[in-house]
Amino acid sequence: MKITADQIKNIAKHDLRHELKQRLKNKDNRLGLVTSIDGEQVLTLVLDCADKTAELWQSDLEGASEYPAVSPVVPQAHWFERRLKDLFHIEPTGHPRLKSTFTENAFDGNLAPLALDQNKKAPGPRDFSYLKVEGKGVYELPVGPVHAGIIEPGHFRLSCQGEVIQNLELKLGYLHRGVEKRLTEIPWKLSRHLCEQAASDTAAANALANAIALEALLEIEISETARRARTIALEIERLAMHIADVGGMAVDLGIAAEASTLSRLRGQALRMAELLSGSRFLKGFICPGGINVNSDFAGERTRIALKSLHAELSPALYEVLHTFTDNTYVQERLENTGKIPHSLAEEFGLVGPAARASGIAYDTRTTFNQGLYKDILLEPALEKSGDALARTLVRVKEIETSITILEKLLEESLDEAASAVALPESLKANSFGVAIVEAFRGELIHLIATDSDGAIVRYVIKDPSLNNWTAMAIAVRNELIADFPVCNKSFSLSYSGHDL
Amino acid sequence: MLKSLVRIIKAGTATQKEILPDQSPESRGLPAVNRDAWENRDRERGYDWTKLCPTGAITVRQSDSKDELDLDLDLGRCIACGLCPDISPEGIIEKNLSTKTAVKNRRDLILSTGQPKEKTSQNPAPPQAKENIFQGSVAIRVVSTGCSACDLEVSAAFNPIFDMERFGIQLVASPRLADILMVTGPVGKGMQKALMRTYEAMPEPRLVIAVGSCAISGGMHGEKNYASTGGVDAILPVDAYVPGCPPHPWSIIHAVMTVMDHKQLSK
Repeated sequence: MKITADQIKNIAKHDLRHELKQRLKNKDNRLGLVTSIDGEQVLTLVLDCADKTAELWQSDLEGASEYPAVSPVVPQAHWFERRLKDLFHIEPTGHPRLKSTFTENAFDGNLAPLALDQNKKAPGPRDFSYLKVEGKGVYELPVGPVHAGIIEPGHFRLSCQGEVIQNLELKLGYLHRGVEKRLTEIPWKLSRHLCEQAASDTAAANALANAIALEALLEIEISETARRARTIALEIERLAMHIADVGGMAVDLGIAAEASTLSRLRGQALRMAELLSGSRFLKGFICPGGINVNSDFAGERTRIALKSLHAELSPALYEVLHTFTDNTYVQERLENTGKIPHSLAEEFGLVGPAARASGIAYDTRTTFNQGLYKDILLEPALEKSGDALARTLVRVKEIETSITILEKLLEESLDEAASAVALPESLKANSFGVAIVEAFRGELIHLIATDSDGAIVRYVIKDPSLNNWTAMAIAVRNELIADFPVCNKSFSLSYSGHDL
Repeated sequence: MLKSLVRIIKAGTATQKEILPDQSPESRGLPAVNRDAWENRDRERGYDWTKLCPTGAITVRQSDSKDELDLDLDLGRCIACGLCPDISPEGIIEKNLSTKTAVKNRRDLILSTGQPKEKTSQNPAPPQAKENIFQGSVAIRVVSTGCSACDLEVSAAFNPIFDMERFGIQLVASPRLADILMVTGPVGKGMQKALMRTYEAMPEPRLVIAVGSCAISGGMHGEKNYASTGGVDAILPVDAYVPGCPPHPWSIIHAVMTVMDHKQLSK
């Protein structure tokens, strides 16, 4: 959706905390993100899931670099506010713990990479400290940044007593590559390629968010067939990654037969992606104006090939997933492990399968327009217990919904999908383009701000992992060290999407 | 248990029998330069189309020897977006579906219409003396510094379909046990120290493989910025490069076979 300069609501920086708290009392409202354009203001995106709209609030910092933090009354803002200090040298005063979200070495601490004045003096030194747990027999267990398998890097500091984890401290940011800044430097037509690399396991969702946000600023509408092709892409990605996550859980639990079958079936889901887009990760497929395919793309041929692969894949998937979840060992191990109660999930604004596993029926596929979901009745997959088992069951249910959605979407011809809409040369000036997409990890937001010439001055990517990392750290408290990998896997969070 | 067994027996062997097959025709593969098409091109048309490459991997330059123009295509920067085979006139750039894409020398990733360069990869003898000690079996340690696509494809190379382990290639959890360091991603400053320490912890002789365009050149992230070093070879000696975004699992297997000098398979 598009938000023009005159639709922005100005809120004094001292009132922000109060206003936001009031607004979030209504359960239909959600905090989308808190950020800044160039360090001179605080920007708050508030989503209204009932009206299906978004509102942008701007709080001018009046030349100062401080404002009263909103985290003390709206805890879910705490990660966003930590980011404000890292990237803009803005100090949210009264923040309960203003620790950096990056590792020390990610970039020079004197630099405010996204601020107008990059060498703007920091209000105080950055904080990288770990919370210390003291007492008899307490010891610290450092894990990472380089992990034992083939996983992205991040550092975990576990304070344990015996075999029990008392506290987990996260240090991320090892993958900070300057993506958001680079997105303001490259031509907007190329931005989709970099957005895909924000987190490549979420390539289709990121490309879709980029396209929706840019299309809002270009004021164009795309064809229904192209929308269907995009929706198919998004669901194939969800299918492939959920299979990978459930398979990863099978690996961590030592269930080799199901793990191996799932990794083979994931190969088939990737084959669907390749049939549709030419890329196993759906890269380069979704673009502003429609979809991008080679000139020899034949919609009907692709649809038939996808349909037959889909028919082959779905019974095999049902069988292996149910064998896995019916296994009493699996149930016993995951039940009550890494529990996140409903109230906590709400307080920290969790998104995606992690939220739905704690009973929060938030799925942006039903609330925000992003594909053809409005024609397909969708029930968010819900579980109540909030443990690792619930998160796994939500994924299993979502694999089944994705299979059903794909079946419906593949019924009609894709022949005209390739005809993309011609793009205007420039973006609408002084406006904001907002896209909210349900990636497989949950609510993904792209926000693009343009200046008076229509050039991109700020590109914000809010990966779903940003909301959920705290929950992972809380979930492992009082669990056994041996359950840490299981808890971590059950959240399956992105490092690259968080670090950018 | 019984169910699982029945399924496994019914599924049979999922592993691909053909070694290093071409990618399927639907795939975008990587681009290649068609020299004949370049020589017979319509010279009036201009070269504006080369500027559409998102990473600037295609350049037209004055030829070294004759009064001509040459076209260079740097696969080390290519993100396989699939645009150039479609936008290049007269089929100058075509689709290459081969999975045998890994090279030992960075220069071999630059496809040029200029004088046929001798493949430098065959020339210098491997530094480990005549008999390459990595020929029999190798252990790999993977360090990810990127967006996870390459990591997923490295994992996929070990899955039942590609099954890299059948070639004597093993994944290890400690650098102490590793012969090969596989690096993905553009190596952000945050990962530089951890990557160096992993490398230093490996026993010699050791090899480094750069997987994917970010690891080779920074890719879409650009050559250098405030947070990124723009490629592995800025800080470590690299023994093999695998282009792609991400490279196909078979190409990753090809890279390992290339540094192993695997007699039949690395060609």
